[in-house]
Amino acid sequence: MESLSIQKRLFTFVTRTNWILLCVAAILGSFFASQGFTLGIIAGGLIVTVNFHLLYRTLKRSLKPPYPASPGSVLFKYYIRFLISGLILFILISKGYVEAGGLFVGLSVVVASIFLATLYEVKKIIFEEAV
Amino acid sequence: MEAEALKILLGCVIAAGFGIGIAAFGCGIGQGMAVKGAVEGLARNPEASGKLTVTMLIGLAMIESLCIYALVISLILIYASPMAATVTKLLGQ
Repeated sequence: MESLSIQKRLFTFVTRTNWILLCVAAILGSFFASQGFTLGIIAGGLIVTVNFHLLYRTLKRSLKPPYPASPGSVLFKYYIRFLISGLILFILISKGYVEAGGLFVGLSVVVASIFLATLYEVKKIIFEEAV
Repeated sequence: MEAEALKILLGCVIAAGFGIGIAAFGCGIGQGMAVKGAVEGLARNPEASGKLTVTMLIGLAMIESLCIYALVISLILIYASPMAATVTKLLGQ
């Protein structure tokens, strides 16, 4: 039961932190960087955050007993999601709408929030053990 | 001069192709192993579906982001390389 609550807590933390980090990075970018850089942050952040939510929905449906989704539909959704992400990135980069640095910051939003969630959990474990 | 520019362009295209290929290969293996472990765990203990889904989701998101980074690098190498302006100038001469 305790383990499940950790999983839920982790997921909630990551989903919330995704949006918070995206907003913070976009605001900071709009103040301190060029328009292309800010657009890159927003586009990259939105791509990975929406991808994360869609991945969660697909996995939840595909692994939920007793009626898991068919492997074909899971694969189809996976490839469609990846294809659309690739197409958006292709248009953004080839047309030069965004700066590469901003795109990297945006695309790192989910990784950063997972890293923060891990640090948060580690801190919690260390402090619980100390008490 | 033109030959040099073409060499740079060729190098960028080859690097982009190999880059995304190797990244997709590695990410495919990583994601396959993650899903294999999760499905095996689920087969042994179906009640653990919620725990497995969240843990796998986080792992898959991390692995997938690596592939997206590689895709971006490849696209930049082809379409927005820092050398692109130099190459265009050299080819134009």
